[in-house]
Amino acid sequence: MATVEFRKLVKRYGTHQVVHGIDLAINDGEFLVLVGPSGCGKSTSLRMLAGLEDISGGEILIGDKVVNEVEPRNRDIAMVFQDYALYPHMSVYENMAFSLHYRDTPKQEIRTRVMEAAEILGLQDLLDRRPKQLSGGQRQRVAMGRAIVRKPQVFLFDEPLSNLDAKLRGSMRLEIKKLHRKLGVTTVYVTHDQIEAMTLADRVVVMNSGNIDQVGTPEDVYHSPQTIFVAGFIGSPTMNLLPAKRNGSATIVVGEKSDFHVQLPAKSASNTDAFVFGIRPEDIAIASGDPEDGRVHVDGVVDVVEALGPDTLVFADVGGHQVTARVRPDVKPDIGQPVRLSLDVSRAHFFESESGKVVS
Amino acid sequence: MALLFRKKRSRELVFIWALLLPALAVYLFYRVIPLVWNVVLSFSFWSPGKPAKFAGLYHYEEMLFYDDAFWVALKNTAVFMLGTPIAIVLAMALALLVDQNIRGRSLYRTLIFLPYPMMIVAVGIVWRWLYNDSVGLINYVLRSLGIIDQPIPFLESYDFAMASVMVAAIWQIVGFFMIIILTGLQNIPAHLYEAAVIDGARAHHRFWRITLPLLRPSIFLCVILGVIASFTSFDLIYTMTGGGPGLATELLITYIYKSSFTLSKFDYAAAVTVVMFLLFLALALIANRLAGGDAGKVDIAD
Repeated sequence: MATVEFRKLVKRYGTHQVVHGIDLAINDGEFLVLVGPSGCGKSTSLRMLAGLEDISGGEILIGDKVVNEVEPRNRDIAMVFQDYALYPHMSVYENMAFSLHYRDTPKQEIRTRVMEAAEILGLQDLLDRRPKQLSGGQRQRVAMGRAIVRKPQVFLFDEPLSNLDAKLRGSMRLEIKKLHRKLGVTTVYVTHDQIEAMTLADRVVVMNSGNIDQVGTPEDVYHSPQTIFVAGFIGSPTMNLLPAKRNGSATIVVGEKSDFHVQLPAKSASNTDAFVFGIRPEDIAIASGDPEDGRVHVDGVVDVVEALGPDTLVFADVGGHQVTARVRPDVKPDIGQPVRLSLDVSRAHFFESESGKVVS
Repeated sequence: MALLFRKKRSRELVFIWALLLPALAVYLFYRVIPLVWNVVLSFSFWSPGKPAKFAGLYHYEEMLFYDDAFWVALKNTAVFMLGTPIAIVLAMALALLVDQNIRGRSLYRTLIFLPYPMMIVAVGIVWRWLYNDSVGLINYVLRSLGIIDQPIPFLESYDFAMASVMVAAIWQIVGFFMIIILTGLQNIPAHLYEAAVIDGARAHHRFWRITLPLLRPSIFLCVILGVIASFTSFDLIYTMTGGGPGLATELLITYIYKSSFTLSKFDYAAAVTVVMFLLFLALALIANRLAGGDAGKVDIAD
């Protein structure tokens, strides 16, 4: 096991820069998830860590050793690919034993290690099969088996669950989590799926166009997003983000037509005038009676109602902006009818619209 | 007739057979009937214009026990066939080269493939000129470089004739093999190599353990096509050497042609044809069996 560190890591293709000098320290035994939309540089960063892409600038350290010039096979890492990358002409056993052949492992030792891995992943009965004869979930397990027989310092996962159907994805997620708890190996996991990020990670790294926007526990990135991008990316349905303007020293006006006034956080030193006001759907309810302390009422028109079962989503038009509220399942407002929403502004987030950063 | 068109199933059958019949008719008249007639002929005494008489195994006995020319032609065909593995190794090397990210690789691919669609008679004539001992380019270059003093009459020499026609045959087919192997190469997902790199396999390991096994169907497709080509390379031999000098480049196919159309021994030629057909069938079956029954297929899960 080992720590991993990125220092001012840069990736350029020709003159086109895709990773802009990111810094990141990953603790020993940590499960770290890189999440972001496609093209944000998360896979590229992982591939640089694996040694599959050259590093254009900066350094990568594995266990305090700079590995920029170290061949992939000597980095003591193992990687699981999105399309599994199993060798189609080899049996499950041979697939898992492949890497050990090139590490001067004695035959007996190879056998013991493959059997051990097969037992952990429940692959004992499939060892003679070819990848073609396996289901998607089984293939993914073989790919993980191939990684764990090596007993590497670091596991790398590149969108490993993206090719599986939703149900299988859920159960494989649990298996990966259990596997990590059992083996305790430092893991770097890339995904575009924020649910995977939230459920698996010790810490989440949210990437956006080649930069790191925020690093933190899943709770951190959900409850205290540091940028507009993180606020909009993490959470489903996404956070309501409305334009706002300063009005007086400590209040802002949200929206353009159906305006309402909100107090800026007390210690706000921000001196810009344009803001983005963010509030999560679960912090909005259907209003009844007068607003309580810390809540603001706004009027809108119901657009769409989605009954999800445990709760209901109400999409309303508020002054030309769509606002989503997550309400109790027994509340069923009529479509096209006016609705009064009650916003818990004590839980709201304020961002400077220019820099995209949170106002603190 | 009305009854025939009443049921959907029989309407479909009529339609299917209507589409199949023209092709089947051609196949029957140009393949099946000649083949059957050929087999019948090989057990008969027959010359044009005369009634056939049953000959039993007479022609086969003559061929196998008394005809040295047959054995020479058979041996030559086997030697000629050795061009196939040589062509495959060359094609593999070329395919690996033009699969790299090099400048102008599609130009190279086109140039290497170019000889294949050329008419074989034209290829034969061009090579005959190249090999010519007085005006040929090859002799000119060898002499200019001081490698030889006297021109070599490649196609008229017992030592060089076979090798010379094989070079032309390999030159002609190597581009086609390269395209087949290149297609196989490009169907191997890049992730497999990346996984192997991380697993610790070096370049030559990756070639032997991943590239080569996954190219097996492509390679055996080349083997089968090469075997077919060496059994049927009539046009190339005929235009370049006519089987000569002596019997130096006589293949089974040219020997069959000469027996029937020069010597008018149609019945005997038919017997040689049957033997050639059986050999060919056996080789094709072995090659396909070795390819795991799926020559030409790209063996990738998913």
